[in-house]
Amino acid sequence: MEARPAIRRSAAKQLSHMGVSGALSSSLPVLQPSSEETYPKLQDTQQVSMERPVAQAGHLTSNSGVVGHIFSSPSRFSTDLHYSSVSPREKQSRNNPFILQSLSSVSMPLPHSSPSGVFQSTASCAYSKENNGSWGTDSLPGFLDFPVNTPVENSQIESSSCSGILAAEDISKQNDWQEWANQLITDDDALTSNWSDLLVDNNVTDLEPKVPKPSLNFSAQQSQVSQQQPASSREIIPAPSREIIPAPSREILPVQSEDIIAVTTPSSANSAAAKPRMRWTPELHEAFVEAVNQLGGSERATPKGVLKLMKVEGLTIYHVKSHLQKYRTARYRPESSEGSLEKKLTPIEEMTSLDLKTGIEITEALRLQMEVQKRLHEQLEIQRNLQLRIEEQGKYLQMMFEKQCKSGGDKLNASSSSLDDPSAQPSVAMQVSPDKSELEPSKVEHGEIEADAVKSKVTSVECAEERIGKQKSPETEAPKDCEPDVCMSSSQPPKRPKIKE
Amino acid sequence: MKFGKKLKHQIQESLPGWRDKFLSYNDLKKLVRLISSSPVVLNGNSGKVEAEFVYLLNNEIDKFNAFFMEQEENFIIRNEELQQRIKKVTDTWEPNGSQPSNTIYEDEVGQLRKDIVDFHGEMVLLVNYSNINYTGLAKILKKYDKRTGSLLRLPFIQKILEQPFLTTDLISKLVKECESTINAVFPVEEEEERKREVKEAITVAGEGIFRNTVAALLTMQEIRKGSSTYSQYSLPPINLPVDSDLIQLVQLNPPTAIF
Repeated sequence: MEARPAIRRSAAKQLSHMGVSGALSSSLPVLQPSSEETYPKLQDTQQVSMERPVAQAGHLTSNSGVVGHIFSSPSRFSTDLHYSSVSPREKQSRNNPFILQSLSSVSMPLPHSSPSGVFQSTASCAYSKENNGSWGTDSLPGFLDFPVNTPVENSQIESSSCSGILAAEDISKQNDWQEWANQLITDDDALTSNWSDLLVDNNVTDLEPKVPKPSLNFSAQQSQVSQQQPASSREIIPAPSREIIPAPSREILPVQSEDIIAVTTPSSANSAAAKPRMRWTPELHEAFVEAVNQLGGSERATPKGVLKLMKVEGLTIYHVKSHLQKYRTARYRPESSEGSLEKKLTPIEEMTSLDLKTGIEITEALRLQMEVQKRLHEQLEIQRNLQLRIEEQGKYLQMMFEKQCKSGGDKLNASSSSLDDPSAQPSVAMQVSPDKSELEPSKVEHGEIEADAVKSKVTSVECAEERIGKQKSPETEAPKDCEPDVCMSSSQPPKRPKIKE
Repeated sequence: MKFGKKLKHQIQESLPGWRDKFLSYNDLKKLVRLISSSPVVLNGNSGKVEAEFVYLLNNEIDKFNAFFMEQEENFIIRNEELQQRIKKVTDTWEPNGSQPSNTIYEDEVGQLRKDIVDFHGEMVLLVNYSNINYTGLAKILKKYDKRTGSLLRLPFIQKILEQPFLTTDLISKLVKECESTINAVFPVEEEEERKREVKEAITVAGEGIFRNTVAALLTMQEIRKGSSTYSQYSLPPINLPVDSDLIQLVQLNPPTAIF
C-alpha cells in the first residue's frame, strides 16, 4: 500500500514539476517515439510470460492498437491526444496516463447524461470503446481461460490491458494504472520481476489495491463509454474468475466478505481506491434502503442480495458494496449514541441547571450558523446563475461574431438590427440588467463609457461586445442615448473599464 | 487579495478532508506562465502544449467530480438517516410520543439539531467548493487564452459546466429540504429575544463548519469586490445587504470554540 502514497506525492509534485522544470516543451517530443517503442515490447512481454501468448498478445496488441488509434482520434475536448506528462515513475510510457485521462475526459459527460442517473457500469472490461469495436467479450473469456497456475498474471494482465484502454479516476489512481501500464509495456525484466513479486503470497496485499483500482476505473469508464452487453459480460466473468484466481482472491475475500464478481472488480479494502463513478440519487437510495430492510437490516444485508432486490440495471455489486459500507457507518453512530442514552442521562442531569442558559445559547449559535449557511447558499445560487448566463451570453456573442466575420459588411446592419430585436441576446441582456439592479451598485465610475441595454444601435459587433461588457457592470443607470457612446466605445475597444470603489 | 490567496485562505479554513481536493490554482497559473514563454508556443506550435494543458485540467476536473460525487452520495445517505432520526425522536420522546421523556427528548433533539445544521452546512460548503473551483478554472482558462492567444476558454467552459461537480441541483434541493425540516426541530422564538442572544451565541459557535461557512462568504464577497480586468465575463460585486450586520458581527467577534 505504500506505493499509493508515494504515487500520490509524486503526483502532487507532478504539477509543480511541470511548472518548475520546464518539462513542458521538452517532454512532448518524447511521446511519439516512446509510444512506438512500447507496442512491440508489449507483444514481446506477453509472449514471454504468458501461457497463452498468441491470443493474448494479439488481444493486447489490438489493445495497443486501440491505444494508438485513440491517439489520433480527437477527444471531446478537442485535444490532440499526443500529450505527455511527467510520469511519477520516470521515463516510461508517459503516453499512457494521457490516454487514460483523455478517455476519461471524453467519457466524462456521459454519466451525467445517462437516464435516471444510474451509472451504467458493469464489472467487465469487455466493453469496447465507440471507435474501436475489436474488444469484445471474446477477449475476456480468453483471459479467463488462463490456466490455473498463472492466476496472478491473468488478473494483472486483464486489468492492465483493460485499463490500458480507459482511464483512472484521479491522479493517484491514474498513477497506479500507470504503474501497471508501465510494467506491462516496458521491459520484460521489470514485468517479470513484478509478476514474480506478485506471485509471492505476501505481496497479495500489494496486488489487491493495484488490481482493483485500474480495472475498476477501467470498467467504470468503459461502461460510461459504451453501454453495450451489460448482462452477458457480467455473467461471463463471475464464474470463471472465482475459479481461476484462487490465491489472490482468497486473500482478498476475507477483507471484504462478499462475493467477488469479476476479476476486474475485486473487492477492495480501500473503498476510496477504485470507485467507479456512480451518481447516486435519493430515489436510488430509497430503493436501496428498502432492499436492505427487506433483507433484515444493514448488518445482515449482503451486497449481492441487495443488488438482486434492487433490480436496477447497470448497478454493480461494487457500487452496492461501497454504498452499503457508507450506509452502515452512517447508521452506526446515531444508533450507538441512542443506545448509550441511559448512561448519558446522569451526566446530563447534572448539567441541567447550567444547561438551561447554555441550551439556549447553543440553540442560538446553531441558528446563527444556519443563517450564515443559508446566506452562503443563496449567494452561491445567485452567483451560479450569473455565471451560467454570462457564459451563455459569451457563447451567443461568439456566434454572432463568427457570423459577422463570415459575411462581412452587409451583415453588419442586419446584425445590428437583430440586436434591436427582442431576441435571445437582448432578452438575456434585459434579464441580466434587472439582476444587476437588484444587486447593490458598486461605486463604479465608467465615466464616458455608458452601458446601454437593448436599444443601442451598434455599428459593429465589437462595439456590441464592448457594450454588453459594460452592461455587465453593476450599472443601474437608465439607458442613455447611445450615439455618442458608440463613438466612444469604438474608439476604446482594447481598454477595459477600471472599477473604482 | 488575489484569487490565489483567497483560494488558499479558503482551503485553510476548509474541512480537513477537503483540503487537497481543491483546484491547484497556483500550480496551474505557474504552468500558464511557463507555457506562454515556452519556445514551442512562441513558434506557433501550441497544439501539443494545449493538449497537455487540457490534460492537466481534466485531471483536476476528474478530481472534483470524484470528490463531489462521493460527498453527494454521503449526503444522500445522511439525509435519509436524519429524516429517520427526526421521526424517531418526535415519535418516541416527544410529549405526545410513545415514551415521552423531556430530558431524553431535549438531549436527542439538541444533538439532532446540531447534526442537521452541520449537515446543512456541509452541503452548502460542497456547493461552495464547486463554485470556487469553477471560478478558479475560469480564471486559469482566461489567463491561458490571454497568454497564448488561443480560444480554449469558451468551449472548455461549456464542457465544464456539464460536469457532475457543477450540477449541484440535487444538493441544492437537499439543502432547501433541510432548511424546511429544521423548523420542525427548532423551537420558535421571538425575534427580539433572538437578536439579544445572537451576540452571546457567536462566542459559543464552534469551529469547523461554521468558521468555514463564514470564511466562504467573506471570501466570496472579496473575490467579487472588483478586479482590474473587468470584462463581460466578470461577476458583479456581491450583494449582502442584510448580511452586513451578521457578517460584521462575526468579523468583530470571531467565533471561538468552547467545546
